[in-house]
Amino acid sequence: MRRRSSLPVTFLVPTLAILLVLSMVPTLYAIVIALQNRELSAPGYSWVWFSNFADLFSDRRFLNAVWVSVKWEIVTVVATMVVAIGLGVLMFEVAGPRLRNFYCLLFIIPVLLPRVSAAFVWKFAYHPLYGIATYPYRLITGGLIFDPLSKPGTALFAVASVDVWQWGLFFAVIVLKLLETLPPQPIEAARLDHAKRWQIHAYVTLPMLKAPLISLMFVKMIESLRSFDLIYVMTRGGPGVATETLDMYAFSQGFIESGKVSYASAMAVLMMIATVITFTMLWKRVQA
Amino acid sequence: MKQYRMRPGRLIAKTVLALAGFLAVFPLLWTALNALKNNVDIITRVPKVVFTPTLANISYILGRDSVLTGLYNSAVACGAAVLIGIVLGLPAAYSVARYPNRFAGDIQFFVLSLRFLPPVAVAIPLMVIWLQIGLYDTLPALIVTYSLLTISVIMWLAIPAFQGVPKEIEEAAFVDGYGAYSVFWRIALPVAARSLIGAIAFSFVLVWNEFLIALMLSSSNAKTLPIVASELSQQGMNVPWGILNASVVLLSLPPLLFLGVLSGFLNSVFRQKKS
Repeated sequence: MRRRSSLPVTFLVPTLAILLVLSMVPTLYAIVIALQNRELSAPGYSWVWFSNFADLFSDRRFLNAVWVSVKWEIVTVVATMVVAIGLGVLMFEVAGPRLRNFYCLLFIIPVLLPRVSAAFVWKFAYHPLYGIATYPYRLITGGLIFDPLSKPGTALFAVASVDVWQWGLFFAVIVLKLLETLPPQPIEAARLDHAKRWQIHAYVTLPMLKAPLISLMFVKMIESLRSFDLIYVMTRGGPGVATETLDMYAFSQGFIESGKVSYASAMAVLMMIATVITFTMLWKRVQA
Repeated sequence: MKQYRMRPGRLIAKTVLALAGFLAVFPLLWTALNALKNNVDIITRVPKVVFTPTLANISYILGRDSVLTGLYNSAVACGAAVLIGIVLGLPAAYSVARYPNRFAGDIQFFVLSLRFLPPVAVAIPLMVIWLQIGLYDTLPALIVTYSLLTISVIMWLAIPAFQGVPKEIEEAAFVDGYGAYSVFWRIALPVAARSLIGAIAFSFVLVWNEFLIALMLSSSNAKTLPIVASELSQQGMNVPWGILNASVVLLSLPPLLFLGVLSGFLNSVFRQKKS
């Protein structure tokens, strides 16, 4: 029925051309910069080829940042999925339609907040003396001080809790909507076989939702890479380097401490290669 | 159904849910409350619920030039980038959805893969490029950079929205003698409008909340509101907390305006899946 038309070309080609230029120019230029020795303070530069990359692997702070980033990914992704599935199933089980709508609205609010806002909200809440989140601890212990953001052992988890507050609650809404799309017959059948409520979900509904749940986890893995805002506002990578992720370290090398743009860019290029390869492989597997 | 009603497990489940609902909004409400407090009422070991409210913090925030400039920069940069995203993203999405060619899958993957790029990896080279061209710390530089975000996100979300438009309506319009372009304008756009508005609202929230790129691409003139808000706290915690809280509230309000639109969008996405 559709006649031949110029529409696909005029609609698609300009947009794709612009997207290609906007994405490839910075990407390629990042690689070019990484092979030079540019600094913010000096205008001149020369080609140093791979020496930035070689330096990175003997830089203990860089290796620490890699480790912190990996920890951050694992902690936030796992905790988000656990919270999302837990709350999603609970809403599905005990909340009526109106209550579900109400909770859904509440649970979407945190993720809409700018991460800078969310970070501030919780930075205040975690304040050892005046924070609302540390108040119960002060109350129970009679005024002892608990400062989660300045202890190396707890800082990462305290920041991660804000990430889970934003994404775990939001994903709970999606898990609920996914559960609602399931046909009721298998659940009824399991119920007739006297399966317990948790068994129905563990063996029937969640396995049926395996594919969308994996996609959801995939989305969270990508979003977890964007941890910079939270960490920048809440801890600046501290105490020490306990919460210094790769983007935080790249930023402080490139801008705050030394202005070594090329060094920072080398780090960014490594991150880019790692994430593009990982996610392309994961995506192809999810799609297959 | 009935035999499950009064189990203690149900009661625990309801309590957990209520607690989660409380946790979702309470920290934000508390921040809003603190924005209305004098400093003496904030810096207390026992949180104060009863206090004499003051508008001093809010009027201080709204009277500061840096905040107003940040608000203006955010509005212009996000507004323009979203507009570019609409103009370039929607037609491209329609084309992928309705005139699929053998590259359709690759195009969709390319658009998604833009999201894999670490923001630092984009921001560092762009900063050097804008510095060399002389556009560093200007709104046009920020708008162009944000357009990459808005175009790809709007395109990604609009493809399923256009695919959700019943094909029969479009075929009927072709029979009535509409050309390909007027089918897009008069049929596809209006029919898919609700989902499209959701996609557009989502892209706006995304760039409004963006921090890292704005931080790297601005030094004084083009600072957006998130940057200004974060800088208020750099003077240490000595800054009156009420003022910081007020700036957080100001920063958070625009995305929250879209709460209704976005939750409706979410519902429509999953209703499509069901049918």
